[in-house]
Amino acid sequence: MEKIAITGLGVVAPSGIGKRQFWANIKAGRSFVKEITRFDSSKYPSHIAGQIEELEKYSHVSERLLKKIDAFSHMALIASELALKDAGIDIAKEDPNLVGIFLGNALGGWLYAETELRDMYIEGRDGVSPYMASAWFPAAPQGQVSIYYGIKGFSKTIVADRASSLEAIGYANKTLSKGKLNMILAGGMEAPVTPYALLCCNTYGGLSENNQNPPGAYRPFDKEKSGFVIGEGAGIMVLESLARATKRGADINAVISGYASNCDGQNRITPDAKGVQLARAIKTALINAKANPKDIDYISLDGLAIDIWDKGETAAIKEVFGKRSKDIPASCPKSMFGNLLGASGAIDLIITILAMQNSLIPPTINLDNPDPDGLNYIKKEASEHKINKALIISRGRGGINSALIIEKNK
Amino acid sequence: METAEIQQKINDTIVKSLGVKPEELKPEGKLYDSLGVDSTEMVEVVIALSKAFDTQISAKEVTKLNSINEIVSIIRSKLS
Repeated sequence: MEKIAITGLGVVAPSGIGKRQFWANIKAGRSFVKEITRFDSSKYPSHIAGQIEELEKYSHVSERLLKKIDAFSHMALIASELALKDAGIDIAKEDPNLVGIFLGNALGGWLYAETELRDMYIEGRDGVSPYMASAWFPAAPQGQVSIYYGIKGFSKTIVADRASSLEAIGYANKTLSKGKLNMILAGGMEAPVTPYALLCCNTYGGLSENNQNPPGAYRPFDKEKSGFVIGEGAGIMVLESLARATKRGADINAVISGYASNCDGQNRITPDAKGVQLARAIKTALINAKANPKDIDYISLDGLAIDIWDKGETAAIKEVFGKRSKDIPASCPKSMFGNLLGASGAIDLIITILAMQNSLIPPTINLDNPDPDGLNYIKKEASEHKINKALIISRGRGGINSALIIEKNK
Repeated sequence: METAEIQQKINDTIVKSLGVKPEELKPEGKLYDSLGVDSTEMVEVVIALSKAFDTQISAKEVTKLNSINEIVSIIRSKLS
């Protein structure tokens, strides 16, 4: 099986667009969670989010195309362009049949769908844009990216709640390992800051209602945790075989060592409080990576800031790493910009790669009172640590558990 | 309405509904060939033309295989 390298990073997030601006804000521990300003959300129990303010400023997409796509496709197009540039790939020189796209999201294009549904009830059938048919559905970004670059290889959109993008990356890794494609754009995108999507997130019951203090609202693993905060954005990476990346002299950001995913099989909303299946997913990923638990020197936490989720995640890590779970640095940087739901795993992976490159672990903010029997949390400020192998955890409703392990290229 | 006025209104409607630039319009070319208009874009154009001229235009009367000049004739005959 071929080893797969990550050679280009494309990030579109509340903390920044492009990896330099993004990393500068992440390592500084700056919060980008604010009151929602895009629409009147004051009557929602939770009306705070990580929002992207200047998407158009970074856009290379024509006005004509923008009329036909939802914000989540727009974000995916920008993140793809950033990733390809970062990887030094000229897509015109690639065999289009051997390039794929593997993206994940949880909600689809609700901003477009909501607007058109409103118009249908107010103006009737003629009020609905014909682009609605191709704008809202979860695979729309995959389609738009493929059309934009003329990509024609085997591609997939994964919908697995918040684990969607890490699952997409895991699937992309497997596909490339078998030598089926030359290159894949992999990751995810999500645009949940819309009236209906925000309503659904609110009725789900997991959002923080600490609207008075947006930067302090998302506090995973803290005793005063009050739920998570949504965020919007996209994280897309260029994946290719290590052999091909080395041959073309690419800057190898990291190598994917192993991946595993499974289900709790228990409840449609809450996870297993003991994290039994999450522990099994991590162990399987370690076996897949031919790695030992003692090799892991950073854990990127899922950190939903809901008791049963954080407890289950902690229990799973303790089960796998034993006494070392008190020593391995662990953090949940999404506390700064919100949970990007289906795109969260891809963003966590990008942060982990940047942490590895800079030997600097970004903090979990707002973690003022961690459980003393918890993990070795990096909190408040970034902390210097060399990372050779890291574990990224991503989970979703319905008990979805995903674990990815990456390593520094030797 | 004068032919020139009808043509200007059609041009403005196509520019606005498709998000193309005025200089991209070619009066003699089929919309499909000259602008690459697809079927969903054509639905948008037909609805916008119906509103602009306050007359019912169907997707069968005006298609992506028509040129702007042909659309001028179709609408002129409908208005008269």
